Amino acid sequence: MDDVTAAGGQRPAYDRVVVTGLGVFSSIGVGVEEFTEGLRSGRNGVSPITAFDTTGFDHANGCEIRDFDPTPWLRRWKQEELGRTAQFSVAAARMAVADAGLTDEELRARRVQVAVGTTDGESQDLDRLAADWVAAGPETWDPETARRVGAGRLSAAVASEFGLTDSEAVTLATACSAGNYAIGMGLDALRVGDADIALCGGADAMCQKSFSAFYRLGTIAPDFCRPFDKDRQGILTGEGAGVLVLERLDSALARGARIHAEVLGYGLTCDAHHPVQPNQSSIARCMQLALDDAGVAPQDVDLISAHGTGTRTNDVTESRAIRDVYDSAPPRTVSLKSMLGHTMGAASALAAVACSVALTEGFIPPTINHRETDPECEIDCVPNESVPARLRVVQNNGLAFAGNNAIVVLGHYPADSDSDSDSDSDSDSDSDSDSDSEAGSDASVDASAVADAVRS
Amino acid sequence: MTGPDKRRPRLDLVGWSATSPFGIGRSAFAEGLREGRATATALDHEQWQVPAGRACLVPDFEVRAVLGKKGTRMMNRVTGLAVGTVGELLADMDRSALTPETTGMVLGTTGGSVQSTLDLTRGSLSGERPFHVEPGLIPYSVMNGAAGQVAIWHELKGPNATLAAGRSAGVLALSYARRLLLTGRAGVVLCGAAEEYSTARAWLARHTADPAAGEPLLGEGCAMFALAAAPADAPAAPASLVGVKAMTCSDGNWAAVVRRCVEQVLRDADAKPTDVWAVSPSGAAGPGGDAEQAVAEELAAAGGIEVPVAPLVGEGHAASAAFQLAAVLSRAETDERSTGRLSLVTTTDEAGTVAAALLRHH
Repeated sequence: MDDVTAAGGQRPAYDRVVVTGLGVFSSIGVGVEEFTEGLRSGRNGVSPITAFDTTGFDHANGCEIRDFDPTPWLRRWKQEELGRTAQFSVAAARMAVADAGLTDEELRARRVQVAVGTTDGESQDLDRLAADWVAAGPETWDPETARRVGAGRLSAAVASEFGLTDSEAVTLATACSAGNYAIGMGLDALRVGDADIALCGGADAMCQKSFSAFYRLGTIAPDFCRPFDKDRQGILTGEGAGVLVLERLDSALARGARIHAEVLGYGLTCDAHHPVQPNQSSIARCMQLALDDAGVAPQDVDLISAHGTGTRTNDVTESRAIRDVYDSAPPRTVSLKSMLGHTMGAASALAAVACSVALTEGFIPPTINHRETDPECEIDCVPNESVPARLRVVQNNGLAFAGNNAIVVLGHYPADSDSDSDSDSDSDSDSDSDSDSEAGSDASVDASAVADAVRS
Repeated sequence: MTGPDKRRPRLDLVGWSATSPFGIGRSAFAEGLREGRATATALDHEQWQVPAGRACLVPDFEVRAVLGKKGTRMMNRVTGLAVGTVGELLADMDRSALTPETTGMVLGTTGGSVQSTLDLTRGSLSGERPFHVEPGLIPYSVMNGAAGQVAIWHELKGPNATLAAGRSAGVLALSYARRLLLTGRAGVVLCGAAEEYSTARAWLARHTADPAAGEPLLGEGCAMFALAAAPADAPAAPASLVGVKAMTCSDGNWAAVVRRCVEQVLRDADAKPTDVWAVSPSGAAGPGGDAEQAVAEELAAAGGIEVPVAPLVGEGHAASAAFQLAAVLSRAETDERSTGRLSLVTTTDEAGTVAAALLRHH
């Protein structure tokens, strides 16, 4: 490694990091193929919540994975040994490793960074402990459930699934941007030379705790999630997992791996401002850090996958921050949460998978459920229907409670500057790539109740 | 990695503090450790709805008493421990030399505050309507609530991360901080780990206790370290981070993985077992802790000293490895035989993590 601080676009071949495997469980599709079709057709993952008793809520839609069956993806673990979130993380990792064409033996011969992001950890088990506490007291807790709730297991279980020893497994508990944190951790572990392969992403399961909290804050939409719409009413909670296999470009080329995308860089900032309300300047600074780390300029970016929760506050704050960095001419900016719901710690990982798909398949996934863009959100959110596009660089935003911002930049592989490229992964469709923003619209709500409470 | 990379900056530990069962602050920690003072006390059952027993609590630690009444109404104990400890750490440092945007913050945990998480859901289950939950509790019911509050209280705008790794969290936080510095994402990183005592944690510990070892004596607290990339010509800090290595025990053979991890972290530093001045194992009950103990005794036999911590301050879970790091730093400050030599901290967690950190004293 020469200079571990060099920007992504200015690195020698052996020092670039690429995505060679994708694993995805989502409400709009399981596996890359189904997920891609969901993105292309603008599928809506919404359905009435079944994970917990919703009696007493006036509305309770969410984005669940119905009929989730991890068993085809578990070799060393039995399903009943893992909580639902770890089932997601392990199954998605197994799928990503299969997609990367790596055997368990090959993984075991390498140093593997495992990084799994999460908001709520083993949340259905925690819901269960809370229910048992209310019903009969903590003395009645099931020991097996109690044993599963340490959040570190979401990543350690992944390492164990492959029988890894030389593997640092870390769970990043940075809430709703945790998937991007995990990708950043994988990138840095490879850049610094601590690992040969990284399995990174995020996972969360539908739970009563998160739903009740967001509901209390007035941020759960009654029907659908409508990011950037003038009548948006909030989020829908969701669940799932996305895992990416990262490795150095020379490693990928040497083993003839299919390359989905290049990880150009990322940025992290902390608002240090408010526990739940986003901060425009801190988000803008995070974007700038990510672009600098990637070695790209704003005008190089063809698409932004917004955090785009669909709350009044987030969407206007985020779109203003985007316009700050993009000098009021941002590229098209979509919210995958319109389709997937807010999958918490999985959100930015699933979005990163979607960005990778967009780069290789040559289309922009839409922001669905969209009627009229909020004039306060001045971006083109690609309403309702995907559009073909030749994409070179994509920015993936992740923002979170506690002001934890994490933004990842992915690039097409091969890049335009790879003159003697021998890759066949280039599947650009021609298309419009004019990316001027149009009007957006919108304003916001959120968390004044919390604001008051925590300030007191 | 093969051998130390000479082109890399030295990573100095330029400060530390601890809020522990020995008391609040670094000197209380040093004194308690030097005296070998046991800290277990009988529990106040008005405060904790747990079976009769003892625990190692931070004495007189009430969030609002320690941090004041402003902005602390709903603050939970783990957040109070972290905010207070970082305050102590920063009080010993030159704040004007810290740029908020390049000062990172990495906090290790087991699962945030399980108490706050369960309290929120219990409110939903027992309220008149299921959304009648306490809004002020919401930020603290998420695992990154504590780190976010630390950032707000102390104006830390650089990378801010919370990582969950149980007993190994302190060492993994150091590993994460190291990479933030090596990649230039931060100039200084405040890193460490925190764990609170709570009714929920006590019941979790009781239900998951190893039958052979019995219910653990729980401890709590927080230790935080300031890690900074030093220019090559900078004067040496009292200690620097030489290396960190984490592995996973996937097959139940803890002895083999602990040994391999320790050998690797020494090899990466071109160090021999006889270079080790002090070794601090986690003291965890069970096969992981036993494997650490065996390695510690071998290193002690080769000329090192053992620095046990858990027997004094209890099973600290996420705070464990952070306390071990604080302990070797503290001991080195009053023992000149440490100069130029190494300290090794080892840790294991039931989830499978095995980790080791290597420090050099100057």
